[in-house]
Amino acid sequence: MTTVINSHPKPRAPANPIDILNNDAAKLYTHLHPALVLSLYAYQFRSIVADPVPALTSALVPLSILQIAYVATCLPPTGNSGSSTLQQEKRKPGEKKKPVPGKVEVGINVKIIPAFLSLLLSLLVATPLLTATLVLFGAPITTHHTHTLLCGAHIALLSTLPLVYVHGVDGETWREIVAMLLPIDEVYGGLIGTVVGAWVGAVPIPLDWDREWQKWPVTIVTGAYIGFVVGKLVGGTLLRGKKIMFE
Amino acid sequence: MDNGESLPSFEGIAAAFAKAKAEKEKEESQGLKPLTVDAAKANKQGEVHFKAAHGILVAFFTWILILHALGIYLFTSGFLLTRLVLDDKSECSVPPVNSARSYTPGSPETGCWHPKTFEKAIVIIIDALRYDFTIPFPPAGSDEKPHHFHNAIPVLHETAINQPNNAFLLPFIADPPTTTLQRLKGLTTGTLPTFIDAGSNFAGTAIDEDNLVAQLRNASKRIVHLGDDTWHALFPGYFEPNLTRAYDSFNVWDLHTVDNGVTDHIFPLMQPSNTSKWDVIFGHYLGVDHAGHRYGPEHPAMNAKLQQMDEIIHKMIEQLDDSTLLVIMGDHGMDAKGDHGGESDDEIQAALWMYSKQKLFGRSSPAYVTPPATAKERPIAQIDLVPTLSLLLGMPIPFNNLGKPIEEAFIGAKGDNFENLAIVNRLASSQIHRYQHEYAVARSIDVSTRATSLRLWEEANVAWGSLDGKRKKSDSFKDPYAAFSAYQQETLGVCRALWARFDVPRMLNGVTILAFTLVILAIYARGIEGDRSELTPVLLFRGGAGTALGVIVGFAASVALPNIPREHVLIYTSAVSGTIGIASAFWYIRRRLVSPLPSTIWGWMSVLFTILLSVGFAANSFTIWEDEILLHFLCTFGVLTTLSSLRQKKTADRALGCYHSILFIILTRVASLSRLCREEQMPFCKSTYYASANSSTSATWQLAIPYVVALLLPVFIRDYYGGTLSYQGSAVLWLGFALRFGLLLSAAYWTLDAADDGNWYPGYGEILKTTKIVIAQITFAIALAFGYSTFNWSKPFLNIKSNAPDSKDTSSQVVADGGSTSIAILGYANVHGSRYALLITMWSLAIILVQKPMGAGAIGIATWQLFSLLEIIDTNRLADSPIGPVVLGLLGSFHFFKTGHQATLSSIQWETAFIPLRTIRYPWTPLLVLLNSFGAQILCAIAVPALVLWKQPPKKKGLLGDVAKAVGTHLLFYAVINLATTMWAGHLRRHLMLYRIFSPRFMTGALVLLVVDLVCVFVAVGGTRMSFLSVAEVFGWTS
Repeated sequence: MTTVINSHPKPRAPANPIDILNNDAAKLYTHLHPALVLSLYAYQFRSIVADPVPALTSALVPLSILQIAYVATCLPPTGNSGSSTLQQEKRKPGEKKKPVPGKVEVGINVKIIPAFLSLLLSLLVATPLLTATLVLFGAPITTHHTHTLLCGAHIALLSTLPLVYVHGVDGETWREIVAMLLPIDEVYGGLIGTVVGAWVGAVPIPLDWDREWQKWPVTIVTGAYIGFVVGKLVGGTLLRGKKIMFE
Repeated sequence: MDNGESLPSFEGIAAAFAKAKAEKEKEESQGLKPLTVDAAKANKQGEVHFKAAHGILVAFFTWILILHALGIYLFTSGFLLTRLVLDDKSECSVPPVNSARSYTPGSPETGCWHPKTFEKAIVIIIDALRYDFTIPFPPAGSDEKPHHFHNAIPVLHETAINQPNNAFLLPFIADPPTTTLQRLKGLTTGTLPTFIDAGSNFAGTAIDEDNLVAQLRNASKRIVHLGDDTWHALFPGYFEPNLTRAYDSFNVWDLHTVDNGVTDHIFPLMQPSNTSKWDVIFGHYLGVDHAGHRYGPEHPAMNAKLQQMDEIIHKMIEQLDDSTLLVIMGDHGMDAKGDHGGESDDEIQAALWMYSKQKLFGRSSPAYVTPPATAKERPIAQIDLVPTLSLLLGMPIPFNNLGKPIEEAFIGAKGDNFENLAIVNRLASSQIHRYQHEYAVARSIDVSTRATSLRLWEEANVAWGSLDGKRKKSDSFKDPYAAFSAYQQETLGVCRALWARFDVPRMLNGVTILAFTLVILAIYARGIEGDRSELTPVLLFRGGAGTALGVIVGFAASVALPNIPREHVLIYTSAVSGTIGIASAFWYIRRRLVSPLPSTIWGWMSVLFTILLSVGFAANSFTIWEDEILLHFLCTFGVLTTLSSLRQKKTADRALGCYHSILFIILTRVASLSRLCREEQMPFCKSTYYASANSSTSATWQLAIPYVVALLLPVFIRDYYGGTLSYQGSAVLWLGFALRFGLLLSAAYWTLDAADDGNWYPGYGEILKTTKIVIAQITFAIALAFGYSTFNWSKPFLNIKSNAPDSKDTSSQVVADGGSTSIAILGYANVHGSRYALLITMWSLAIILVQKPMGAGAIGIATWQLFSLLEIIDTNRLADSPIGPVVLGLLGSFHFFKTGHQATLSSIQWETAFIPLRTIRYPWTPLLVLLNSFGAQILCAIAVPALVLWKQPPKKKGLLGDVAKAVGTHLLFYAVINLATTMWAGHLRRHLMLYRIFSPRFMTGALVLLVVDLVCVFVAVGGTRMSFLSVAEVFGWTS
């Protein structure tokens, strides 16, 4: 086979790792955020173990708020990725420069609305997909549907909300995200960490320790939270800019 | 996949050879080779070369198989418990102590060591009579609904309550393994079983230890046996030939022949005119056990069977005379599905009931009149029957007995004769003491291990001595009775521990052999660059030389080490020396060695899956939940290949890869719905394999599954062939007709079987039976006889088509271009893969036939998944990666569970032996059970070569070496699992769960490794010979 069929005749600019916004609030909050998320989870852990469904449901609200605060404060919204120089290059020739709007308006238009859209997409698209994946991996098929759905929702909020915010909904970008072709940054690291954490979270379930917290889906959610924090940290520092190679 | 690249040669000859080869290739690349005389000669040479290389490969893998077998043998012989059998026999005139109450021993007429109570006895075994069958349900204060097996045999409980001096009923605890043969040994010798006998259920062997039946025979008692023929294997020639009737015990689908035989012959013998013809009758009913195996306890057939037993016992009570003791007992229980063999509570809890017309039995407390509500209260051990029966019948207690006389039988009708109880316990304990002394001398056992029991022995004698010569109140004998009981209990405990004594050097040496072999296999499979088939000769030669040297060294060493059995030394030295020989061969070819450690994410995932699984076997929880772990891993693999597919450059590869990966995941999850839970998984698992958790028959709707498989599976496989236009020639005949017909026949078999089972057409049972057996035989003939003929003689699945030159089909090779038309070969793109994969479908048919309907669905899905996996591996270019063979290992292990198996003895589906046969026939019976048990692993092992052959060009270099690499990797997976389970079983040999969890898992792992070794060598690698020869007939030889 000599001709390589390429569905993208125009080669795309190589994706760059996401930088957090260059302001003090962003730099501060990006470190504060994981601590807040973990403490929030730790605070609710007891009630989640006691009765997972209501506790996990109510935990979704503060998690959403924290995640929205995180993306709005720290991350560049979609189409705004990378440094400003890159943004200039990306602008298509002939495109008009928009008039500069007011600061608050910018805040709402450029940050808050995309953040809420990301939340919506994470809940409506990512959650069902992740829930289905959980079932495929062996989650109970006839019982515990709400448990599994809530577990999927937590994973979605942790992993996909920031990704949707920074990368939008472009199909090709999402192919690259799923195919693990993007360079690692703290957002992508958060996704990988959450998923790996949830995977590892399945390990203690079969053990015969007879602990309350071994019940479905506590360990998975816990693994996802810890994985998110570790992944975000490692992705933003140690592995930043690295690419995942399969071969 | 750098097939043409030249490798650093290690020999000058190889370099010259490579040059010659390159020239030839150049010549061949011009087009199809003209068939000149020279070319024909070269081709012939190529064929000879291939056959030699293939033969050497088979020899090499056989040698690996032998190493595995040696290592497993050495470990097993040290691990499975051994007990020295003493030849000493108790004698009537030689009691173990001076007798009490001035009784003169030595006469069988009055009683050898103790005055006898009964002249005659009828001992009835109702096989698998579980204790809870015999007591009323629900117990007071509970509102649970009774099951079919409840309240169906009330006679035992009623008599025990209404006539407490005539009868008693007690839980009767079996020592595992709970197989009938082992139980009969325990019930007649009074000693503990050892695990090594567990497998000999197929053919029993005579007992040479002292036992009750031998003692009766020595005392010239006339013994009659009726029922289960296992007795004749154990006691050949002991029974009155003209009164005895034995029946085949293995046909578990027959509920009535044995039972009716026993009943028909026992009642005439109980007539007053006939009672003088015999002294002891042993009757053995099998109906309850067979109803359990066939239907499970929760079935009307079980209810009917137990009610029949109830009637029979009533009748026996009526006809019994005053001087005869009647004993009814179960030899073991049954689990929730009606199977047995292991050591779960349901399997070990049997019932014992004794009855006499004389008022002889008593209870030490009035509260004990009611039989225990559960088998956990006041249980007695099955070995306790031996001293009890011996003393009641005036026989000496068998020399090796460890049991204790049953309280109820000796305490007297008033329940206060502690003197008698103390006397019989003193006798039994003294015999135990005598036996222990002899055993300690014979085995040179350290006194310290017996210190506690010796102290208790002294104390008991002191307690007895303080009463000696004085006529005391009966109550004062309570102390010596308790002291002798304590001694017996302690000794039993010591013996249990002692006979759980492992031969650690043997185990360690076995593990060493397995570990060395593993290293060899790892380097061979993953640490060699280039074509393995070129290097195998030197490995085989050096390995063989090493083995030969090892034998010589072994002989010398066994002279130097006379204390170690020669066979142990020989096995160890030859195996280790053989692996060292291979290691030297690796040194010789060191320039071809690369690090066997993984370098890609796929390599790491292969290692991760294998290691995680192996480490998990150290924990009982992970061993119990192995099926779920495998599901998790297989889905992880599917997700990873989805991601990897999305990374592919070609859109077609992306789409195909994603489709097959997601299909693979979904099929895995669908298959996972077929479950047979092991006891330890309760209550978190719901069995779906049979109609219900308490059944071993399929539900009616499940009968449809094989038909769905028959309709869909050939269509799906055809599609996989169609993608490369390989659905040509014999493939059409096989996939389109023979396979489908065979699958339909197999489905018909299971429908007929259900009709026969459920008695849908009363009166036609015999016709149904004959028809289904014939159908099964025809199916086997289609799968293996017709299948192998097709596989061996069919041409590659190609077709020649001349068409317009603009046709751009990648599946066909344009061979002669130019002019207005061109000739294209259809099916060219997958000529090797399509040709070889026929073997998978053949074996799939054979394996589907021997699975229950639910299992047919699982194997059908497994087959579908295999083809999906082949596509995944191809679109992601992973043919060279270890992930394919490892995932096949995971898939095989996964479907092992999905075909209704667990790593427990009780889940073996023995009845498989009767699918195509009426009786036990060697070697077919064990082979059928193996094909049923490990069908999934066998199928996946056969698919291994297809991983590297699927969609490979016909003339690709080193394909045989690729096959060797993939097969080696697949074996490596099972070898790691086997080594891990072996090491864990050895390490955890004192673990509470050893016999329940670790030991069965070790045995499964070892068996699977040997089976997969065999299948890989003779079916998979053997199959490549046929398919390569067939392809080469058309395309010629490349080397």
